[in-house]
Order: sequence, then structure tokens, then C-alpha cells
Amino acid sequence: MRVPILKQGNYLIASIQDALTDTDLLQLQEELVQRVGAARTRGVMIDVTALDVMDSFASRTLRDLAHVIRLRGAETVIVGIQPEVAFTMVQLGLLLEGVTTALDLEEGLALLDQRTKGDARCDR
Amino acid sequence: MAEQTQFLTKQSLMREMGLTEQEIARRKAFLLFRDEDVEHLRGLHELAEKYADAVIEDFYDHLFAFEESREFFSDPAVLARVKAAQKQYFLRLTQGDYGTAYVEDRLRVGTAHERINLPLKLYLGAYSFYLQTIASHILQEHRNDPAQGLPIFLSFLKLVLMDMGLAIETYLHQRERTIRAQQEAIRELSTPVLQLRERLLLLPIIGIIDSQRAHQLTEQLLHSIRAHRAKVVVMDVTGVLAVDSAVANHLIQTVQASRLMGATVIITGLSADVAQTLVRLGVDLSMVQTVGDLQSGIEEAERLLGYQVVKAADEVG
Repeated sequence: MRVPILKQGNYLIASIQDALTDTDLLQLQEELVQRVGAARTRGVMIDVTALDVMDSFASRTLRDLAHVIRLRGAETVIVGIQPEVAFTMVQLGLLLEGVTTALDLEEGLALLDQRTKGDARCDR
Repeated sequence: MAEQTQFLTKQSLMREMGLTEQEIARRKAFLLFRDEDVEHLRGLHELAEKYADAVIEDFYDHLFAFEESREFFSDPAVLARVKAAQKQYFLRLTQGDYGTAYVEDRLRVGTAHERINLPLKLYLGAYSFYLQTIASHILQEHRNDPAQGLPIFLSFLKLVLMDMGLAIETYLHQRERTIRAQQEAIRELSTPVLQLRERLLLLPIIGIIDSQRAHQLTEQLLHSIRAHRAKVVVMDVTGVLAVDSAVANHLIQTVQASRLMGATVIITGLSADVAQTLVRLGVDLSMVQTVGDLQSGIEEAERLLGYQVVKAADEVG
């Protein structure tokens, strides 16, 4: 399943709606990394609210994705990790080191606004 | 019906304490309580009946001589009832047949004393009076040949030792039951997650954390973070006196899981002992934000959330 990537101002929002295969994840990674450079993107938000499982591959891919996007000059926030998912991840040692997380889309947007405030390239 | 219920509880008490017929036999063997002892005791019965009333009177005179024991018998009606029960108890010592029914009766007596909170030292100490009285009566009977009295007295002593053992176990059993009930109560006390301000939760942890409680605590906290849309959580562990590595790791996992949900956790009130234990256990707390006391923790949380607390007077001025 392809993940739709929406543009909202200077942000890109990818909302994962269903369990993804490893191929889907890699495709998402590829697409996001490409688009970050293309459209003056300052922030990327990945919404995982609908996921009730996050395995080590998904977790590692998202972490790498966030690090790559930072190198491309944008911030990444992962939002909507469910309580059970969060605890399972921690027990598996999947800590998303160095990645910003937020409760939901609203929080994520507020966080991105805060992070990119005073940025010369930011229109807002 | 009532009698039947009582019978059942007695039965279950025996079962709970593991006093099966074989166990009673094992105890007797250990006490060297043999058939000839039963004979000796039976032989004393006539003597016991003859002196029972006098012994009981003397016994209560003895108890009344001490303030500690006196206060248990301030009510005359109670005293009369207790005396009757005591006489029964005394006579039962020499009635023979020291099997299941005997043990059951002794447990009943023990439970009754435990229920009125009679101190064990008085309960066991009172046997000294019995032993002395019985010894003098036996010697009186066998004054021509004291050597004959000794084995009889020893039989009596063995039985009293068995009674004492049962008494102590009844007390212990009741205490253990109380402890179990209290542990249950502590476990059932849910760990409250309180909203202190908008987006700020307080999680006070008090008492012993075992893995079950730690798990419950984590689940409750993570769900509360979502329900209250919390950004900062202050976890106060002032009331936690001891942690082991499992619990410490669990707390850290909780902190990390909270972070994945976008909330910052501040741990406050780590006592000197707990802090030292954590370091000795090699628990890595570097990624956990800790603040000395609850007040500072809340202040730090308010700062993170952008709150500033100002006194009303200062604001006006």
C-alpha cells in the first residue's frame, strides 16, 4: 500500500493508514527523501496512529529516515505512537534515538512550528 | 447450620495449616509422645477432676496478680465463661485420644486467644503455672515413691509442649493471614495518575513495586498521557524505599515509552538509598531527567510547559 504524502505549507505529512510491508516502507523512505529537497520543506511529519505493531525494521527505517531528512535540512516528527506500541518498542530496545516524537498531529505541528521558528526560509 | 459452618472453618483451618493425620502423628513422634504417655495422662484424669476447680481458681488468682493479664478479665460475665472454658481445657489434657479432634480443639482455643489479642508471652507463660501445679499434685500422689511420678509428669510435659507448639502456630498463621490480606490491599490500591495542570500529569508512587504493579503503572500512565494529552509527567518516587534492577529497568522503559508518545518524564524524590542502589546496579539513568524533590520537579515541568507562577500580590504591585 502506498502512503499518501500531503503538502501543508512548508511541511510534508505522511499518514500511514495500514500495516506496511518492508517494501512499502522503503518506498515511503525513498519518496520522502526525494520530496524534502524539492519543495522548500522545513518539516516532515509521519503519523503512525493507525499502526498497532511496530517491528524492528519499521522502527529502524523511520529512525534512519529522520536522520536522512535532517541531513537534507528539515525536521522530522513521528506522531501518534500508541501506548501499547510504545511499550512494546521499548521492551524490544527500539528507542528511535535522536528522533522527535509527539502525541498527535496537532502536537506535531506545534512542535514543528516551534522548531522552525525564526528560520529565514520559513514563510509563516 | 451455624454449627456446621463453624465445623467447616475449623476443618479448613486445619487444612490451611497443613495439620493432616500423618502430620499430627509425625509431631507426636518428634515429641516422643507414645502410647504409654497416653496411659499416664489418662491415669491422671481422676486426680485432675478432683482438683480441677481448685486449680482453676488458683490459676485465675495467679493471673489476677499481674496487671497485664488482669485487664483481660475485667468483665465478671466474661470471667465466668472463661473459667468454665479453662476448666474444660484443663480436663481435656487428661482425657486421652490426642488425635485430630484434640488438635482441632487446641486450634480453636489458640484462635480465640489470638482474636482477643492476648500476648503470646502471657499465653505461653500461663503454662508454667499449670506445670508447677500439676507437678506438685503428682508428687503429692506419689510422695512415697517420687521416682514413679517423674515419667507421669514428663508425659504431661510432652503434651503441654505439643499444645504450646500448636498455640504458637495458630498465632503465626493468623498473622500471616493478616499480612497476606494487607499485601492484597496494597496491590489493589491503584496507582493514581493525576492531572496537575493542563498537559501536566503527576504520578506519585508509594510503597513496594513488584513487576505486576510496575506493569499496571506503566499501562495506566501511557493511557493517561493519551487521554489527557500530556506533555510532561512528574513521577514522584519519594515513597519508594527500595528498588531492584528489574523495577528500575521497568521505570526507565516507562520513561522511554512516554518519550515515544511525545511526553517528557521527570523523576523526583529518588532517595539516597535508591540512588545508590541504582548506581551500584549499573542502571543507566543518563537519559532520564531527575530532580531532587517534588516541588522542584513541578517547577521544572511548569518551565517546560511555559508556565510562570506569580504571586497574586506581586502581580498587583
